[in-house]
Amino acid sequence: MPAPSPATPAAPDPRRPLDRAPVVALAGNPNAGKTSLFNALTGQNQHVGNYPGVTVDKIVGRLAFEGRDIELVDLPGTYSLSAYSIEEVVTRDFVLRDRPDVVVDVIDSTNLERNLYLLLQLQELGVPVVGALNMSDEAERKGIHVDDKQLSKLLGIPLVRTVASRGTGKDALLRAVLDVADGRANSLARHLNYGEELEDKHEEVMRALETDAQFARSFSLHWVAIKLLERDPDARGKVEGSHANAAQVLEVADKASEWIKRHFGKDADVVVGEQRYAYIRGALREAVRVEPRTGRKDATELVDAVVLNRFLGVPIFLLVMLAIYALTFQLGNPLSDLVQRGFGMLGGLLGGVLPDGVLKAFLVDGIIGGVGGVLGFFPIALLLFLGLSFLEDVGYMARAAFVMDNFLHLFGLHGRSFIPLMVSTGCAVPGVMSARTLTNPRDRTLTILISPLMMCGAKTPVVAMLCAAFFPRYAALMFWGLWLFGWGTAFVTGMVFRKTLFRGEDSPFVMELPPYRLPTPRGVFTHMWHKAASYVRKAGTFILAASIVIWAALSFPRVTAYSTDYDAEARAIEAVTSARLAGAELPQDRRAAIERERARSLADLENRKRTEDAAASFAGRAGRFVEPVMRHAGFDWKVNVALFSGVAAKEVIISTLGIVYGLGGEEPDEADIAEAPLTSRIRADRAYSPASALALMVFVMIYIPCIATLAVARKELGSMKWPAFMAGYTLVLAWVLAVAIFQIGRLLS
Amino acid sequence: MTLDQIAVGNDFVISSLFAQGEIRRRLVDMGFVSGARGRLLRKALLGGPIEVSLGTWRVAVRLTEARGIEVVGSDARA
Repeated sequence: MPAPSPATPAAPDPRRPLDRAPVVALAGNPNAGKTSLFNALTGQNQHVGNYPGVTVDKIVGRLAFEGRDIELVDLPGTYSLSAYSIEEVVTRDFVLRDRPDVVVDVIDSTNLERNLYLLLQLQELGVPVVGALNMSDEAERKGIHVDDKQLSKLLGIPLVRTVASRGTGKDALLRAVLDVADGRANSLARHLNYGEELEDKHEEVMRALETDAQFARSFSLHWVAIKLLERDPDARGKVEGSHANAAQVLEVADKASEWIKRHFGKDADVVVGEQRYAYIRGALREAVRVEPRTGRKDATELVDAVVLNRFLGVPIFLLVMLAIYALTFQLGNPLSDLVQRGFGMLGGLLGGVLPDGVLKAFLVDGIIGGVGGVLGFFPIALLLFLGLSFLEDVGYMARAAFVMDNFLHLFGLHGRSFIPLMVSTGCAVPGVMSARTLTNPRDRTLTILISPLMMCGAKTPVVAMLCAAFFPRYAALMFWGLWLFGWGTAFVTGMVFRKTLFRGEDSPFVMELPPYRLPTPRGVFTHMWHKAASYVRKAGTFILAASIVIWAALSFPRVTAYSTDYDAEARAIEAVTSARLAGAELPQDRRAAIERERARSLADLENRKRTEDAAASFAGRAGRFVEPVMRHAGFDWKVNVALFSGVAAKEVIISTLGIVYGLGGEEPDEADIAEAPLTSRIRADRAYSPASALALMVFVMIYIPCIATLAVARKELGSMKWPAFMAGYTLVLAWVLAVAIFQIGRLLS
Repeated sequence: MTLDQIAVGNDFVISSLFAQGEIRRRLVDMGFVSGARGRLLRKALLGGPIEVSLGTWRVAVRLTEARGIEVVGSDARA
C-alpha cells in the first residue's frame, strides 16, 4: 500500500492508573465464546455500530466495575492477524489505531493450542493482553487440566479462568484487566522466542526501524519487524508511509527474508508460524495435563458421523433448511398479517382524525401504508435471522459449507454461498447479510449479486396469484417450476459472473468445523437482535424514502377534470338507496341487501376513480412511456405501473395491480386465490395470454431487487456501484427472458 | 505423499507445505505446520472437501489445498 498511513495516535502514556474509562477490546477465535462473555459482562447495555469503511458490526458496551466505568468493544472473531480477511484487518487496525488499553483474548480452553496462536500474535502487536481461559468447565470435563498460573508465567500474560455462558470468573477477569490497564501488571515483559537465527534477523530489522524515533513511538517495532520479515503488505505500507528511512528499512528486511528463506528452505512467514506453534506446544507440555481419553467418542464426533456422512450429508442439510423455512412461514405469516393489520388500524385511526386532503393521503397511504407494507415482511426476516443465529451458534454453518461445497464448486461458487442463497428463498435481506460468512470479498460480492434471483417470500404471493390465474390446473407445478427456475438462474448467472467479472484463482477453502455447542436461548436471541437491528438501521430510511416516492408517483399529478362526475354519481347512488330504504316497511334482510349494494356501488365508483387517477399519475405516464419497450414482453402500462411499485417491495405488485385494475388495494385471500376478483379480472383481460403471464412471472422473479435488498447490499458491499450493477443486470436479464418467452409463446399459439 | 492421498481413518504427520501465498498463510494459521499430527476423518460425497483433525480441532480443506500439504502417512490406527 503506497498511500501514507493515516495519522497515528500519540505515543502511549507512561504507565499510571487511568483517570478515564479504560477501553477494553474483546478478541478471540470464532466459537471461543467471545460473544457470550461480552453479553455476560455488559448485559443489555450494548450498542451496534460499524467499523469505519467495512461491514463488520461493531458492538460496544459499557459496564461498571468496582466504581469504575469500562468501555468494552467486541472485535470480530479471528484465528490470526494475517490481514487476509476483513475480520482480521478490522481487529488489527482497531488494535493499532484505536489503541485499546487492554485486549482480552477469549480462549477456548478445550482447544488451547490453536487459540493461544492468536494470543501470541496479540502480544506481538505490543498491546497489553489478558487471556480469558473460557469454557474451563468443559475442558475439565474433557480431562484437560490447565495449570493457569504456570501457563500465565510461561507466556508472560495474565490468564483468568471463565465460563462465559454462566458468568463465572467475570470479576476476576475485570480485576486482571484493571491491573493491566493501571500498570500494576505487565503483559509485555516478554515475548516468544523465534529461535536463534530468526531472532538475529529480527534484531537487524529492529535496528533499522529504530532510526526513526517518531516511527518508534507510533508503532510496536517488535511487531513491525516480524511482519516485515513475513513480507506482510500492510506492514510494508506502514513503513513506506511513515518511516523516515523507509528504503533502507525495507532493504534490510528483504535481505533478512531472503536469508531466512535460503537458510530454512521456506519463507519467513511459515517459519514464524511454526515457531509460534512450537512455542505453544512447549508451554502446554509444561502447564497442561491431559487425561488419556477413555475411548469414548465425543458428542461432536458422533453427530458428525451422521450429519457429515457422505450420503446423508446433503439430504440432512436440505431437511434442516426446510425446517427453518417451514417454521419461518408457519409463524411468520400470521405475524406478518398482524403487523399489516396494525399499520392498517394506525392508518384508519389517523385517517379518522385528519381532514381530507393531500397531507392525510400522504401520511395514511404514503407513509403508513407504504412502510407498513414493507415492514409487514419484517417478522419473516426476523424468524429467518433467528434460525440463522441458531445454526451459527450451534456450529452447523461450517458443516453446511462442507457438504455443499462440491456441488457449488461446479459453478465456481464457494460452499458457504449456499446458505445465503437458501435464506434468500425466504427473504433476500437476511440472505445478503448472511453472505458475510464468506471471508473472500470476491466470493461475497458474487453471492450477494445472485441472491436476489431466488423466489423470496414477497415474490411468492405474486407468482402464486399469476399461476392460479393462468394455469389453474397446474398451478402448484408451475409454482414449483418457477422456484427451481430461481435457483437455476442464480447458479448460471453466478457461473457466468465467475468466468467474466470475477475471474481468478479459487479462494482458499480452509475452514474450522467447530465442536457442536448448544447455545443459550438468550445468546441466540441477542444474536438475532443484532442482525435485525442492523437490518432496520440499514434499510429503514431507504424503505421510507421509496414508499414516499412510489406513493407520490401514483398520486400526482392530481386529476383536475375527471371523465365522469364521480361526486354526482355518488350522490345519485345515495339518493336511490335512500329512496328505496324509505319505502314501505322492508324486511331486515332486504334492507341489508340494499345497503350492501350501495356499499358495492360506492366502492366500484371509488375504484373507477382510482384507475383514472393511476392512469393520469406520473407512474401511469411512466408506464405508458415504457410501453414500447415492454410491449415486446407482452406488458401493457398497467403491468408496468405495478412493476414500478414492486421495486419498493415485491408483494406490493398485487395491490398496485388491484388499483390499476380498479379493485382497490385489497390483497386476495390466499384461500380462494383462484376466485379472487383480481385473479378473474386479470384472466379476463384480453391483453393476457398464458405466454404473457409466464413472461410476467419470469420478469417478477428476476428484475430489480426490492429497495431493502439494494440498501442492504450497498451497506454490505460498501459502495453504490454493486447495487447499481445488480439493479441493471437483473432488469436487462429479466427483460430479455420475458421477451423471449412471450415471443416464443406467440409463435407457438 | 500429499494429504489428499491419505485414506479415511489414517493418521499423518505434516512434513512441509507446497502451497503458496494466501492458501499457505491460511493453512499455517489453522495449524498446518511441519511436525503437526493429524487424522483424516472423512471425505465429502465426491471425494472432497476432506475433514482432518489436528490436535484438538477439526479443519475442512478442499482437495486442491490438500495437494499442497506434504505428509508422512501411517496406517496405524490409534
